[in-house]
Amino acid sequence: MADLFNNLALGLGVALSFKNLGLCFIGCLIGTLVGVLPGVGPIATITILLPITFGIDPIGALIMLAGIYYGAQYGGSTTAILVNIPGEATSVVTTLDGHQMAKQGRAGVALGIAAIGSFIAGCVATIIIAALAKPLTAMALLFGPADYFSLMVLGLMFAVVLARGSVLKAMAVILVGILLSTVGTDLESGEERLTFGWTEISDGLDVAVIAMGMFGFAEILRNLESKQTRDVVHAAIGKLLPGRKDFAQSAGPIARGTMLGSLLGLLPGNGAVLGPFASYTLEKKLAKDPSRFGKGAIEGVAGPESANNAGAQTAFIPLLTLGIPPNAVMALMVGAMTIHGIIPGPQIMTKQPQLFWGMIASMWIGNLMLLIINLPLIGLWVRLLKVPYRLLFPSIVLLCCIGIYSINNSPIEVVMTAGFGLFGYALVKFGFEPAPLLLGFVLGKLMEEKLRQALVISRGSFTTFVDCQLWAGACTRPLSTGLLALSLVLILIAILPSIRTSREQVFKEAD
Amino acid sequence: MSQAPEDRAGAPPGSIPSGIIKSSLDFAGGLFLLALAGLGFIGGFNLPVGHLSGIGSGLLPKAVATLVAAFGLVLLVQSLVAGGDRLERFAIRGPIFVLGAVLVFAMTIRPLGLAIAGPLAVLISALADKETRPIEIVIYATLITAACIGLFKILLRLPIPVFPPGYGPF
Repeated sequence: MADLFNNLALGLGVALSFKNLGLCFIGCLIGTLVGVLPGVGPIATITILLPITFGIDPIGALIMLAGIYYGAQYGGSTTAILVNIPGEATSVVTTLDGHQMAKQGRAGVALGIAAIGSFIAGCVATIIIAALAKPLTAMALLFGPADYFSLMVLGLMFAVVLARGSVLKAMAVILVGILLSTVGTDLESGEERLTFGWTEISDGLDVAVIAMGMFGFAEILRNLESKQTRDVVHAAIGKLLPGRKDFAQSAGPIARGTMLGSLLGLLPGNGAVLGPFASYTLEKKLAKDPSRFGKGAIEGVAGPESANNAGAQTAFIPLLTLGIPPNAVMALMVGAMTIHGIIPGPQIMTKQPQLFWGMIASMWIGNLMLLIINLPLIGLWVRLLKVPYRLLFPSIVLLCCIGIYSINNSPIEVVMTAGFGLFGYALVKFGFEPAPLLLGFVLGKLMEEKLRQALVISRGSFTTFVDCQLWAGACTRPLSTGLLALSLVLILIAILPSIRTSREQVFKEAD
Repeated sequence: MSQAPEDRAGAPPGSIPSGIIKSSLDFAGGLFLLALAGLGFIGGFNLPVGHLSGIGSGLLPKAVATLVAAFGLVLLVQSLVAGGDRLERFAIRGPIFVLGAVLVFAMTIRPLGLAIAGPLAVLISALADKETRPIEIVIYATLITAACIGLFKILLRLPIPVFPPGYGPF
């Protein structure tokens, strides 16, 4: 316990320096600014803003990136409440009651309770991360290559189960992501793979290029096609601070949402997306009068928003301790960290304690800043949301172009991004969800590496992954075997029709 | 990978009635997967698969491409047997102008700089939307480019060219 506080103190010392505070502030501010734009989710926001962090030392850059990430998340909730357009999957639920509250002239209270709930959730999640970091890192050191491989298989299976729509298509799209990850020079043999003699991609495809194409450009193409009438609330924003009654109603949902979100966020494979749905369902079940839900019940904003933020934060745990990104946003974070020369994984904590604890402390500070930034700036966000899309999308195109060019000062990468824009648009048109592809792309590289290592160590025997003779009571590879068994169970669950329909209902409830 | 498969038009958009193909969406999706798997096979054709204790560089691409192809086939079969959604029409105007703007940006940024490439990208992409108003967008393109130069070049000092080489203050 004393260790925990020592570590947090070390982190606070780093994060509270004047420069890092400033970076955290700027990150949160511009993250929200870009995240508020309709149709620009966290993935596109982080990619657009990535070049801004160049030229900053790794610690500062990471703190700023984390700030951008929280800002983008919160910006998504703001659009959900004010315009009824969820910035991303995790704020879908917020549109239900949040937008109703806004229509009733209580937009301020909805945004206020979302910010307060997120702040409380963020505080708790920060402590959970700090407390779990040490034991999980210690555990990570016990993981052999085979266990890592199996853990990533499990993560991808979770992503399949949690993806919306067809299980078949979700699996296929992950495989396409893995296929894309093999493009470029093979690290072991030096042979060029799937490059078709094109030297520009002999270093492999850049995760930022894929992300920007599929989540920046493709999203614009889809928005242009199905123009949503943006229903920016005309009612007054109203007062921002929730009253005593609001607080009394929200306290329970915030506490429960925080717990649910933190736990689900830990799951590999985008567990965080479940948090808000689970919280909403729970609050509706617990409510004395469930019919209020969907008509502006404050519990329906407080709970899911807390769960959303808690999950967004605990999703960092698998990345920071095991080096395995649990979802598409974290997959992009891996790319961003690599640009700054940081390889996520268990060695960060031991080798760069300042960076590790500084980032964790900055999470807490970032949450505080969101609260401070957002409440007074709501008026500005409303005005920004009223900018018509015919002006917004050309600016997003320009920002994306500048962003992607600046990553490597390479016009060719801008061209490739346009290609991935078309690819992403086609993918969505054919009914595939793009997010699992990004996860498959980043995990694919890691998985191949671990697979090769594991097979070299075992001299080509697959028993290194599964070796359990239950009848003999012998299990030499309990971790890997268990993880693969769990993956198998998950896939069966996803395929069994009865469970599939109930899974659809969970998502339908929000639609 | 800029080569999005050409046979996207393999299934005429939304035009297939309840003939043999019950779900034109899944049918097209299946073809799409097969095309991607085909690209993977062609690109990795000459790579050695190796053996289990020393996996070659070709194993993963070939194995994954096989799986993608298998999923594509399952989707194709499913689209013939089970019902499903229809393929929506592909927009043409949006992709042409938005992605065209991006390509023009890529071609002009080095020789002409952001001061010219920026407004070009904004103006060309704006053509994707019927609601664009000419005067408004010209003014807006100038303003947003100026703001970007201020932010990225002056404030953040990114090495992005602003003027054609040899011209302009920086």
